[in-house]
Amino acid sequence: MENVILEINNLRKSYGPKSVLNGVSFGVKRGKIIGYIGPNGAGKSTTVKIMLGIEDDYTGQVNIFGRDISNGDIEYKRRIGYVPEIAEVYDNLTGQEYLTFVGELYGLDSSLASNKAKSLMELFGIGEVYHSRIASYSKGMRQKLLIISSLLHDPELLFFDEPINGLDANSVMIFKEIMAQLAEQGKTIFYSSHIMDVVEKISSRIILLHDGRIAADGTFDELKEQNTQGSLEQIFNQLTGFSEHKELGARFVSAVREM
Amino acid sequence: MQDSRTLKLLDPFERVFKSFGIDYKIMRKILQVKLTMDGRRVPTIFSQNAKKENKEKNNQYIKSLWIYVLFSLFLIPFVLMGDNYLFQMSLYYGIFTFFVMTSMISDFSSVLLDVRDRNILFPKPVSRKTISTAKMVHVTIYLSFLTIALTGIPLIVGLFKNGLLFFLLAVINIILINLLVVGLTALIYLSILRFFDGEKLKDLINYVQIGLSLMIMVGYQLLIRSFEFIDLTVSFLPSWWQIFIFPMWYGANMEMVLNGSFEPVYLLFSALSLLIPILSIWIYMKFTGTFEQSLQKLTYHGKAKEMKRSKAGQLLLNIICRSPEERAFFRFAGSMMKNERDFKLKAYPSLGFSIVIPFILIINTLREDFAQLSDSKSYLSIYFSLIIIPSIMILLKYSGKYKGAFIYRVAPLKSLKPLFSGTIKAFIFKLYLPVYFILSALFLFIYGSGILPDLIAVFISACLYAVICFIVLKKALPFSESFDDYNQNGNTAIIIGLMLFVALLAGLHFISTFLPYGIYLYLGICSICLVTSWSLAFNVTWEKISKG
Repeated sequence: MENVILEINNLRKSYGPKSVLNGVSFGVKRGKIIGYIGPNGAGKSTTVKIMLGIEDDYTGQVNIFGRDISNGDIEYKRRIGYVPEIAEVYDNLTGQEYLTFVGELYGLDSSLASNKAKSLMELFGIGEVYHSRIASYSKGMRQKLLIISSLLHDPELLFFDEPINGLDANSVMIFKEIMAQLAEQGKTIFYSSHIMDVVEKISSRIILLHDGRIAADGTFDELKEQNTQGSLEQIFNQLTGFSEHKELGARFVSAVREM
Repeated sequence: MQDSRTLKLLDPFERVFKSFGIDYKIMRKILQVKLTMDGRRVPTIFSQNAKKENKEKNNQYIKSLWIYVLFSLFLIPFVLMGDNYLFQMSLYYGIFTFFVMTSMISDFSSVLLDVRDRNILFPKPVSRKTISTAKMVHVTIYLSFLTIALTGIPLIVGLFKNGLLFFLLAVINIILINLLVVGLTALIYLSILRFFDGEKLKDLINYVQIGLSLMIMVGYQLLIRSFEFIDLTVSFLPSWWQIFIFPMWYGANMEMVLNGSFEPVYLLFSALSLLIPILSIWIYMKFTGTFEQSLQKLTYHGKAKEMKRSKAGQLLLNIICRSPEERAFFRFAGSMMKNERDFKLKAYPSLGFSIVIPFILIINTLREDFAQLSDSKSYLSIYFSLIIIPSIMILLKYSGKYKGAFIYRVAPLKSLKPLFSGTIKAFIFKLYLPVYFILSALFLFIYGSGILPDLIAVFISACLYAVICFIVLKKALPFSESFDDYNQNGNTAIIIGLMLFVALLAGLHFISTFLPYGIYLYLGICSICLVTSWSLAFNVTWEKISKG
């Protein structure tokens, strides 16, 4: 079994004249939870989409499970799970239909996929909507459905892009526990989010992306040492060169007060 | 999810797909999911009168095909007419192309332009080839259904009348036309997406859908009458521009083979008929990667131009609406009617229809004598434009994003009067008035300026009628209910009842024209009624608004 699950070398990507990634490189070892953070538009989702083969046309090298993904072989996707940032699902289908379909795409037997999906939904507290159309789900239910759909096939590498969006506090706790246990069993998790407290607590390593480059890379303690700041939020502000929040806030409020 | 029969038809070709390196099992799964989802969608041509039902056994699309079968009956005469194949079959193919193209754009767009595929299927271990083949097969399945519905009966009639050769040739031609249409549609989308953003494309699709619905409404009226016009003494004079009318290419094929007239123009047409479809499909295949890339644009929302409020418009608005709240609702309702695609799809065809209907009626009377027309009182047929008012007033309470209606309850509204009066005014000025102006301009042209007071009276009556409709119809907050609850049949009785009011108004108007200065009397009475009813009608309390 490979020990380095994921390796990115000098990754660059641009949309027309606008460059999104300007040479990103890092490697990820088995069993780690990587917190992948950065301001809006820093290129987090783009990196994830490249690794999943949703976006192509990049330069640089992306190796997953020791293989270059640009060679056209898609077998590596069988061992990957993904929760997208924007909850796009075929919402005319029922939860049962959608999850069974996704399971089958990953090569699971349809009755196995269906049973597994059912018990996962029950465990996550949304068993009663298993046979309802996804269009009728609340935001939190949809998010849970997406999380389940990413785990059905017991993947080794997980990409979570804002996975706890819309979940209530109890569900977030369950989810954090799920992640910790998965990592303990050797799964690798790539977690990107804007909620700094969660990233700070669960990540074994944090990578901060800013303007398409890596601005910081290390454990939370290492980042703290380098930056002499207390919380990840403050480190984030410092590294992204943002210090005007007080002033902007004050100007915003004064604009609100104008009549 | 059930296994559809269509997919079973596909199974014998498993090997063929596999030999192209396609994962057949997965492709079948994808198609199964897609067909299930389609079964829950209501196609455009049907959405006029279908309410979504929760039964799922039958695909709604398949059910909607009977309309096309009906239309195909109108195509039979073209097959039977005679042996001027170039003329009659060109017409036949032309009409066929029109239906396939519009239906392609309105109903298959969602297949071609589904961006969810990218985000849902691409991360899964499914090859791109399998995904794009699934897409192709998906379109092909529906296109075949549509084609069989549209051409089945006429071609069988043709088989008996004109023989086997005719039949085979027609089948080949139709397949080529389908290829051309698919290639062309995809290429049109491709070029639009390259230069514009997704919103533009969605607007375009919306307008095509509106056009299709209108065409079908008008088509019912015209097709039946058109039988009388068909005359077979048409001779063909080749001119250069006919090269661009591609149904003629296929007509030429028929002419050549069946009548044995191998003129050079026909040979050229025939060559084009074969080359262009293959070429367009080839280009599409070549650029399918670019197409997928550009599809990503559908999710971006381009920077829209800022709309400046014009001074004149502002001034006019101040005259129309007195209170600032009413102005706010006027503007809000106006932009909702302008922007909401679901609303436009349901409302605009009937607006177009109401422009056409008075003329169809005039044409009917016109048969007798044209000179008489301008003296007659047939201009009163403009009252038919009023019949759209109740159905659109009913539509006003629906919205695709009806949940946004919470804003009414959150906002500190003292009374609901400005809400309703602003919305009704927006409807009259933004939707009805354009229709009225077009009709008035045309009528003034036909009947002369003498009917000006009558036209003004019609507008006042229309406003009065809108208020009457408001009073009679169930009160509900505008844009506050889901289109899923929209059921036209449930309202038919009320709408017919309300139409009697139109008859009443038109009747009174008609009587008034016999009195000296009667039209001014009618105008005065209408205005008084309007002013009184307007001040009383909108005093609706929150309690009166029916829920659900």
